[in-house]
Amino acid sequence: MREETVFLRLGPFTAALTTPFENVVEQLRRLYPASFFKPGADFADFHVALLPGKGLRRYARKQARFLIDGQEHFKPLPVGQALPLVEWGLNYAIAGLAHQYLIVHAAAVEKNGKVAIFPGAPGAGKSTLCAGLIHRGWRLLSDELALIRRQDGKVAPLARPVNLKNQSIDLMRSFAPAAVFSEAARDTAKGTVALMRAPEESLARIDEPAPPGWIVFPQWRKGAPARLENFSRPAGLVEIAHNAMNYSLHGAQGFELLAGIFADSGCYRFTYGDLNEAASAMNALAAA
Amino acid sequence: MTGTLTLSQNDAIEAGTWRLSPRVRWRLWDDEAVAYNDVSGDTHHFADFAAWVFARLCQKPESAAGLAREAKTSVELRSDETHDAVIGRTLELLWRLRLIEKAAA
Repeated sequence: MREETVFLRLGPFTAALTTPFENVVEQLRRLYPASFFKPGADFADFHVALLPGKGLRRYARKQARFLIDGQEHFKPLPVGQALPLVEWGLNYAIAGLAHQYLIVHAAAVEKNGKVAIFPGAPGAGKSTLCAGLIHRGWRLLSDELALIRRQDGKVAPLARPVNLKNQSIDLMRSFAPAAVFSEAARDTAKGTVALMRAPEESLARIDEPAPPGWIVFPQWRKGAPARLENFSRPAGLVEIAHNAMNYSLHGAQGFELLAGIFADSGCYRFTYGDLNEAASAMNALAAA
Repeated sequence: MTGTLTLSQNDAIEAGTWRLSPRVRWRLWDDEAVAYNDVSGDTHHFADFAAWVFARLCQKPESAAGLAREAKTSVELRSDETHDAVIGRTLELLWRLRLIEKAAA
């Protein structure tokens, strides 16, 4: 297996990924536009590697290891999960190293010049909601990490493949039949996982940050009608601070940044059970 | 951290005037408050009566007695406790969180 290094654009960052796994590089080329690959780049923010398992794992029940700057931060995974391992590993690298941003564990989408930020615990339905909205007129900024710029509170785009899990995969295949998906990786720690390519408009506007307009705490509930309710901004600020990866690192500046965002944004709780209804409710909010 | 703080005679809640600690940043929205303590790095959310007391201290330093006088005319309590008792308990909480301190006499 011959290693190759690809330089891949991730929003404002460049990652240098070294790997001998041709299938993974091939899938990345389906999920990212050609313009995001920068052959021969002379600088990378993150140096990562996806390498085969060690010892007998090179031959039997093959594994893949993910390294950041030569360090292994995760247990190796079966080779069939190598692609999600790369995406999770890149998220880990960004969340752990890009402290020039306030990083919130949240999806972020834009419409009419304003960003809706969806913070949420795993399972709250933020990725599915985000995946649905970007196929109903919203621009993808991120499905996982909202990068808030310290200088002006705008959200920097990090449009990458959307991470879909379990039932969300089939749901999105029927909701957006033209979308491009990776092969599904089964039996991961999160169940079955597939990645969905970001819409072309989101990728083309990767250099356009936008200010937050709505902070929305989503909660998917089977059969629930789409319902937006006002939510207390002080409570929302504390909740989003808990969802931030590096809030404590930014100290008082982090608080002021969030306070500025909440002063200028609506704050809501959003329950939904159907993606079409959810998209209608969010479109009405954006149009108001 | 809060368990190491005890009220001395000089700190007695009823005595003197209370004010916000200088390293506290805050916002008041929708009758609620959010406060950031630059010393501890903690962010706190206050609703109901605690938010009312905090908001008063954001405006100006106040004594426990002054707060209780104002509360009696403008805040209805949900429990059977007296305004003085709830003011005392709230001030102690804010003090233990290092959000307020005694103003110089």
